[in-house]
Amino acid sequence: MTAKRRVAITGIGLVTPAGLDVASTWARIKAAKGCAGPITIFDASGFSTRIAAEVKGFDDLPPIDDRKLLKYASRAHRFAIAAADQAIADAGVRPTQQDASRWGCVVGAGMMTVAHEEIAAIQKAAAPQGELEPSAILTEPVANDVMAFSRSLSTAGVSLLLRRFGIRGYASTVHTACASGGQAIGTALRLIRRGVADRVLTGGFDSMISPVGLAGFCLLSAVSPDNDSPERASRPFDLTRNGFVLGEGAGFLVLEEWNSAVQRGATIYAELAGDGNSLSSYRITDSHPSGDGPIQAMRRAIVDAGATEADIAYLNAHGTSTPMNDRSECAAVHAVFGARAMEVGVSSTKSVTGHLIAAAGAVEAGLCALAIRDGLMPPSANLRELDPDCDVNIVRDVPRPAHIGMALSNSLGFGGSNSCLAFRHPEETAALIAAGR
Amino acid sequence: MTRIVITGNSAICGAGQDPASIVDVLLEGRAMFTPIAAWDADTWRGKLAAQVQDYNGGKLLGDRKLLKLVRRSDVFGIYAGTQAIEQAGLSAWREALDEKAQADYADQTGCYVGSGGGAFEVNYDFFPLMAETDGSLPKFGQELSSMVNPMWLLRSLPNNVLCHVSIRNQLKGPNGCITNHTTSGLLSIIESAWALREGDADRSVAIGHDAPIEPQTLNYLDCVGLVSNDLLRPYDKRHDGCLLGEGAASLVLETEASALERGATILGEYLGGGDASEGEGIFDVREDGDGLSRAIEYALSDAGLKPADVGMIVAHANGTQGSDNSEAAALLRVFGDDMPPVTGFKWSIGHLFAASGAIDVSIGLEACRRNVVPGIATLGELAPACAGLNVSQQNRPARSDVLLVLCRGFAGTNAAVLLRAARPN
Repeated sequence: MTAKRRVAITGIGLVTPAGLDVASTWARIKAAKGCAGPITIFDASGFSTRIAAEVKGFDDLPPIDDRKLLKYASRAHRFAIAAADQAIADAGVRPTQQDASRWGCVVGAGMMTVAHEEIAAIQKAAAPQGELEPSAILTEPVANDVMAFSRSLSTAGVSLLLRRFGIRGYASTVHTACASGGQAIGTALRLIRRGVADRVLTGGFDSMISPVGLAGFCLLSAVSPDNDSPERASRPFDLTRNGFVLGEGAGFLVLEEWNSAVQRGATIYAELAGDGNSLSSYRITDSHPSGDGPIQAMRRAIVDAGATEADIAYLNAHGTSTPMNDRSECAAVHAVFGARAMEVGVSSTKSVTGHLIAAAGAVEAGLCALAIRDGLMPPSANLRELDPDCDVNIVRDVPRPAHIGMALSNSLGFGGSNSCLAFRHPEETAALIAAGR
Repeated sequence: MTRIVITGNSAICGAGQDPASIVDVLLEGRAMFTPIAAWDADTWRGKLAAQVQDYNGGKLLGDRKLLKLVRRSDVFGIYAGTQAIEQAGLSAWREALDEKAQADYADQTGCYVGSGGGAFEVNYDFFPLMAETDGSLPKFGQELSSMVNPMWLLRSLPNNVLCHVSIRNQLKGPNGCITNHTTSGLLSIIESAWALREGDADRSVAIGHDAPIEPQTLNYLDCVGLVSNDLLRPYDKRHDGCLLGEGAASLVLETEASALERGATILGEYLGGGDASEGEGIFDVREDGDGLSRAIEYALSDAGLKPADVGMIVAHANGTQGSDNSEAAALLRVFGDDMPPVTGFKWSIGHLFAASGAIDVSIGLEACRRNVVPGIATLGELAPACAGLNVSQQNRPARSDVLLVLCRGFAGTNAAVLLRAARPN
């Protein structure tokens, strides 16, 4: 079998609660300063959880110079376009007429696609007593607004990006809840390896900070109810953790076949070296306390990268700050790394950004690439009393300087899908290539 | 490259609940549209849809308790996945293994699902609460837990079929839930095949499911001008739009080595797939069929085949002028005047959206195994823009055992898959 085509990360774009671009997001994450606060997007005063990590000052972003495009861009889509714009500019390459069909686009998109005002308009017109009277929608403006329909489609996001950048190759949208972003990037990696594409714009976007979105998590008691101390509410691995903090935003990467990136003199953040996927097949919301499920995803990512457990220096954990996730994930760390478990630095950047759901894995992939570039493991914020069940080597409060030869990023979703991505320092990749591997 | 075979094939739609019965309906020339049952749509355009008959969710699932955790679209997907897995004998084989081998088997069995629908319907569960609280969000928050099912979010997950089919059958390998609207089902098959080629799995269950017959979706499609008033007539000079269907289909894909070891019955072989986008916008379709012709060329190249090798084509054939005409252009571009018999199934079973590509593969494989290309019964006179297309009202034999299936979707997405049918002696 011929060697796998290697894949370089040459562009990153981030729009997160921690900042509207890569530099500001990365600075706030290194400062371990949590982003959660009272919800301002809508009146959440009656909800059991009234806090979230919102993207702030988003209207200050440069306006998008395409009116047709904006007509069917929702809040999450606008995050996606902004982050993708950054990633493409950062990579310094974009599709041309000659190579557009060799560009792919794979995105992880959120599940909530209809704005609350539109749900409310339909309810008012066609379900005044609570039961939908279908024929009453026929005269309701929102139900006849083609742009509202466009925004609601699961492919609206990928469509906006394909058109904006003129991408004409393989295009796909995935949704495996919190694993979406990781699985999208993993699919993109594979497209390049398969020879189906040479470059892929890939990432995730989401915003569930809306009445119905927040309601879904409140009903499940999945979100932290710490309304009086929002900045400390997301505290992965802490004994007192009591749920995640809902975030929003987008992360995008430009992935490129390694040799072509080198040939054009691109700045390579890291090699996207491996993709591991598994199903927990246990419960809808949890993986097994033993870590079964996440274990296989991590092992697969390491093997897929042509590496061994001993090569991994840093793990960006899924680390949602829910009691079950963190325990199961830490058990997986011990199972995978065995005697070496305490040598792997672990942190959850969700302690700062909150949980960006379908965008989480994509943003965290970008953070892993930055960690490798800067030789800094980003810290986990808000950890005071370590849960004995989360006895791993946590990077606490301040960034930890280290040469990171390889990093992993976990994204574990409701529904049981587990994604793990493996990243390698570009110098180590160059050394492997020089050694004929 | 690893040979990939098909050992399970299932389908459910308005024309039946297994591929063989559905092909029988197509061969009889029956369109399965009836007045929409979910609401009184008598005054609507597109008041007809191809609906699963005598729907009984608990029976289809074989588990009444699960019905509380899933939606109609999920019921179809779980049903189809379960049927295909049973036909392939995957679970029975696993259960006969020792404990260690069972765990390895589970880890080497993947699942990819193409999932759609429900964008509007899931929100309707909040209508009683919204009516009660009359536009007040603080009251909405306060009354939430007394008026909405606590499991609402889990019932609404787009990846529910992936979750429940995997729990039920202990599938623990590589996986994905593709929510790329119409092409999702075909992409679930393409991604499954790659997982086997790349050695990440030895078997994979591919599923496409959807239930798009809901009022808001139908009205929006009508607003975009995509809905027919009476019949779905692909390529006909009177083609005026599409009609909705619902259901699911599933294939079990397996490496040849795995299938031979199990002694499984081989229904066909996966040969290749391709995907291409046009990047023009959400509803825009290029007149020259550029995206579709490239998807076909990529699939042929992936399979190492020439156009002349293709024995029959199951086209998208959705009855809208924009799609039909550009599809004809794409097929003429690739096949010229040496075109194999072309057909499509939506004239009978409607458009299943995220399930459409998967069910076209499922039914197409069954038809190709019988060496018959079902005719398009609603076809009268060919539209001028579709001249040269090798379509017929009549059932015809295929030119060879190689089947090409096409699928197109919003956002200018196009996918193509090539299979070889194993014909029973």
